[in-house]
Amino acid sequence: MKYYSYFPGCSLEATAVAYGLSTKAISGPLEMELIELEDWNCCGSTPYSSTEDLEAICIAARNLALAEKTGLDLVTPCSSCYCTLSRANSQLREYPELRDKVREILAAAGLEYKGQVRVRHLAEVLFNDIGLEFIKSKVVNPLSGLKVAPYYGCQLVRPTGFDDPENPQSLDLLIATLGAEATPFPLKSRCCGGSLIIPEMDLALGLIHQLLESATTNGAQCVATVCPLCQTNLDAYQGIVNSKFKTRYDLPVLFFTQLLGLALGIAPKELGFDKNIISAERVLAPFTTAARSVRET
Amino acid sequence: MGVKAYFMINMKGGGNGHADALADLEAMPEVEFVAPVSGQYDFMVKVDAPTGVVQVANKILEKEWVKHLDVLKIEPHIPKPFLEEVCSIPSGESINWCAQCGMCSASCPNVAQMDYSPRKIIALIRAGKREQVLTSNTMSVCASCYLCTARCPEEVKITELMHALECLAVRHGLRGGRTPTTIMHRAFTESIKKNGRVHEVGLMFRFYLRTNPFAALRLSTVGLKLFSHGRMPLRARKIKGIEQIKAIIDKAQALGGA
Repeated sequence: MKYYSYFPGCSLEATAVAYGLSTKAISGPLEMELIELEDWNCCGSTPYSSTEDLEAICIAARNLALAEKTGLDLVTPCSSCYCTLSRANSQLREYPELRDKVREILAAAGLEYKGQVRVRHLAEVLFNDIGLEFIKSKVVNPLSGLKVAPYYGCQLVRPTGFDDPENPQSLDLLIATLGAEATPFPLKSRCCGGSLIIPEMDLALGLIHQLLESATTNGAQCVATVCPLCQTNLDAYQGIVNSKFKTRYDLPVLFFTQLLGLALGIAPKELGFDKNIISAERVLAPFTTAARSVRET
Repeated sequence: MGVKAYFMINMKGGGNGHADALADLEAMPEVEFVAPVSGQYDFMVKVDAPTGVVQVANKILEKEWVKHLDVLKIEPHIPKPFLEEVCSIPSGESINWCAQCGMCSASCPNVAQMDYSPRKIIALIRAGKREQVLTSNTMSVCASCYLCTARCPEEVKITELMHALECLAVRHGLRGGRTPTTIMHRAFTESIKKNGRVHEVGLMFRFYLRTNPFAALRLSTVGLKLFSHGRMPLRARKIKGIEQIKAIIDKAQALGGA
């Protein structure tokens, strides 16, 4: 059993509730113990660091200080939390004057951060710590023939990441491990617009349209994502994209943990498939019945 | 920040009670440092004089041990040049390496919507065009995808620069909510200050109320779908350590800057 401090992030309690459910569901069979960080706060994300940067770093650093006490690596499934918490970590390492200031500020809240926590993304942990070999050995319901577009988005691979910033491969390999086929996806690490979907909706819709087009023309039956924002933008806004661009996309957008859970034989209900707006039922039908029978035997 | 001034001070009674006088000066909030000197004077003092040099000088002259005070030098407050201001922000210093190759602009997915491309923004900063940069929409349409940063051959942290410029614009009141992105950012930070977490429904509600409530109609189908799929809890959650968040923000505001 491997132990981690777990940082779900705000989205996993709301728009990305399926990501939280499926992450929890796969952790047992993959022998990971994800211990939720006690009383974590929002990482601050891009909006805070674009408003008041010193406050933003301190808000993120509160989580790092709490995590340091556990002595475990801090793992998050959210790409934005991953990017923001890693950024705070590296800024504190790189700029001693800033570090002194932040220490003084944290002390006002009775906290201390020495700078010893490693911030990690769930996808990287699965790839590097758990390993594809081990995952393969746990696959009881191979997703044979399923064509999946591997969507990495931005902040898992940039600015710092464990994979190539423009042509990453880890998710492709993971999809293949599950018995499915990773389709070519030239826009695999391109932007979905992120939180600009709220203030600059038309701009973001254009980006989402390009992504859906690229995935569809390359023969994908569904998209696998590693980020709550990517999932919401591609799934919940697909209808608006269709009316704006006169298209007829009907492409399910799944969290990679949902597909992983299905291959591990976990019941669809536990993986939150009912939370997906574009239903994956038609595409996943051959595997969901298999998951049920695997589980019953 | 105001004007700085240097004073030379003589003591009464030939220097008796020197240590007490030193402590007395150091206790003044306006005093930045005191240097005991020998010869004609007893102390040299550097003061910060936000309300005027005369007021601070008079405050020192009121002390019963002071015999005489001369003003040595007054330094007028000169605002930092824009380039220097940007470089003093963590990551901002990286613009010194920019070779103006334009890889950032060529890589940006949203460059077509920007007033100035990322490359031009850097050129404008170097030319000292503070207002032109900080009132532009460039930072507001940056989606923080970091493609520019990943591709920059000189390792300029362009995305970080965009965040820093957005902060400067807010600090100088140069946009103060004039773009929808800034309004969204503010609603987001308010949510954290209040609850320690972001409540997505509350965030969107506040955003559309402050911008265009009718635009929300276009989104009502998205909202309903998210809600009916159990993805939009209506209640906001508050963390237990909200007092820590408040203490952190108060202290950060007191210290200021990044």
